[in-house]
Amino acid sequence: MVLSRFNGRETMGRLDRLQRAVLLARLIEELRAENSWCGETHVQKATYIAQSVVGIEMGFEFILYKHGPFSFDLRDELTALRADRLVELELKWPYGPRIAATDRISRIQKYHPKTLRKYEGKIRFVADVLGSKDVVDLERLGTAFFVSRLSGVKNARDDEIAGRICRLKRHISSEEAIAALQQARKIEAEARKEFPS
Amino acid sequence: MMPRTVHEIRDPIHTFVRMDDDERKVLNSRSFQRLRHIHQLGMTYLVYPGATHRRFEHSLGVMDLASRVFDVVTDPANVGDSIRDLLRPLANPHHRSYWRRVVRMAALCHDIGHPPFSHAAEKYLMPQGWDHERLTRKIISSRDMRGIWKSMTPPLRHKDIQKLAVGPKKARDLQFSDWEAILSEIITGDAFGVDRIDYLLRDSHHAGVAYGRFDHHRLIDTLRILPKNYEGEGKISEEPALGMEEGGIQSAEALMIARYLMYSQVYFHPVRRIYDIHLRDFLKEWLAGGLFPIKLGDYLPLVDDDIVAALWIAAFDKKKKGHEHARRIIRREHFKVIYELNPVDAGVNPEAADAIFSALKSKYHTSLFRYDYYRQSGGSTDFPVKLRDGRIVSSLSVSEALNNIPIVTIGRVFVDRAYFDGACRWLEDSRDGIIALQREGDDGQAG
Repeated sequence: MVLSRFNGRETMGRLDRLQRAVLLARLIEELRAENSWCGETHVQKATYIAQSVVGIEMGFEFILYKHGPFSFDLRDELTALRADRLVELELKWPYGPRIAATDRISRIQKYHPKTLRKYEGKIRFVADVLGSKDVVDLERLGTAFFVSRLSGVKNARDDEIAGRICRLKRHISSEEAIAALQQARKIEAEARKEFPS
Repeated sequence: MMPRTVHEIRDPIHTFVRMDDDERKVLNSRSFQRLRHIHQLGMTYLVYPGATHRRFEHSLGVMDLASRVFDVVTDPANVGDSIRDLLRPLANPHHRSYWRRVVRMAALCHDIGHPPFSHAAEKYLMPQGWDHERLTRKIISSRDMRGIWKSMTPPLRHKDIQKLAVGPKKARDLQFSDWEAILSEIITGDAFGVDRIDYLLRDSHHAGVAYGRFDHHRLIDTLRILPKNYEGEGKISEEPALGMEEGGIQSAEALMIARYLMYSQVYFHPVRRIYDIHLRDFLKEWLAGGLFPIKLGDYLPLVDDDIVAALWIAAFDKKKKGHEHARRIIRREHFKVIYELNPVDAGVNPEAADAIFSALKSKYHTSLFRYDYYRQSGGSTDFPVKLRDGRIVSSLSVSEALNNIPIVTIGRVFVDRAYFDGACRWLEDSRDGIIALQREGDDGQAG
């Protein structure tokens, strides 16, 4: 059976669409279990860190945009998952929508035990680290991760990287940027220890 | 300084589109005039005969709307203090004036790189890594166009025009400041991009359907740049986004409903879609190397008229390249829908249409079937809304309609007419087994 189509593109990562859907849904479930609000920003930043820090190869391309690292591919995929009723939006006045996995994706997850087993430790790590963070924390942390990985920045001093963050995101102060950078380094070190390969 | 002459162009949607001498240089450029020969909706005119309009007039409409939105959202009376602090160019009249011009020119040129028949065949006929947005950027930065940007008062930076014309989704190599992100959202944004506002109104008008109409005047008057500061219960971010005042919410609902109806009734009409696929198959054989050229000297002269002429010749001459596909278009012998994804099958397997396409190809022959797959892109209809009491909340909190607009999703399989009956019978007996999900094997792949 062919399951490798992903919005007509078959080059995004090694996982097929349903495998990616199963992992995204598990990430959403774990974030919510850790009391994350789990709006789109939370899922965007958690997916970025799942890909770039712990190496879950979902194949989404991120740029620095809305609240830090942002993937239009992921945004499109979340919409497609809503169309397929694999995830849904929940509302709580006066806040924005929360994303929730549905019963339908729970059923599909049962057909993907290997994929889930392979990545569930990494997903839990990301949820543990990010679950308690709000949009502001995630924006600063995600931006710190993203900017510190840009070519030409890797060997720069923290204050230089922080300066760059502040220029790109004018509402982030220098102190906030430096604190976010330090936190990013700590998370990276923990991830290396937990998942050495 | 000499007063600028204002040129007026009649338009069926906006009555008049106005431009000055500098802007008319762009209009008169070879690259822009080419858009007179690119159908806005590909071969949709084969289903909706009135839909023969071109990218040319759509681009003019987008320019007109873009500056209207710019004027509303940057009007000092409409800008809150937190936004004024974040968006520094708003404070300087020269900067504001520069960026207004950039917005208009980016809007005018946002489709300048479209291949013949617009989106109909683009996806499969561009070399790896290329799409019409990349060609748009290439044309905007071409020597001819750079000469025009430099001659304007004030001169415009071609990189700024590129950024706003295609937006961050298609210019991932460029970094956008908050200000640039907002301006590109005016043109290409998911919720209120003027590209969408114009194409819904214009396509609806020309196709002769009412689905795409909505009160865009009210919508534009209520647009605002607002901090999207309501996501979750913790600390809030002040990052700006395009939103609206509470009074405009019904016009936003109408826009989103219009979008859904136009997609389901016009853009994804099954016969329209199969003509696109037959056209793609024809071009694959007709174009040198099966791909559109990307060298501007070869790309710019290629317009719909060349392809229509080639189709007419090939349709009646078996020896010509692409004869079979041309015949299907010109003699209206297109493939028929044999399967369409429905909620029941999608509940079993969201990829059911893909599975059925694969099974039919294996049972019969690849050449007898075509597959059409689409999932709506873009985000949810969540945008900031400023309530009358000054609070900013999610649009989804104040609009039941926005919460319930269906998401367009298409999965269709088409079959050669000669095989329709037999394939239908086989599918009737086999469908449930084909779409059933299989448990992953030890290698992590579906069994």
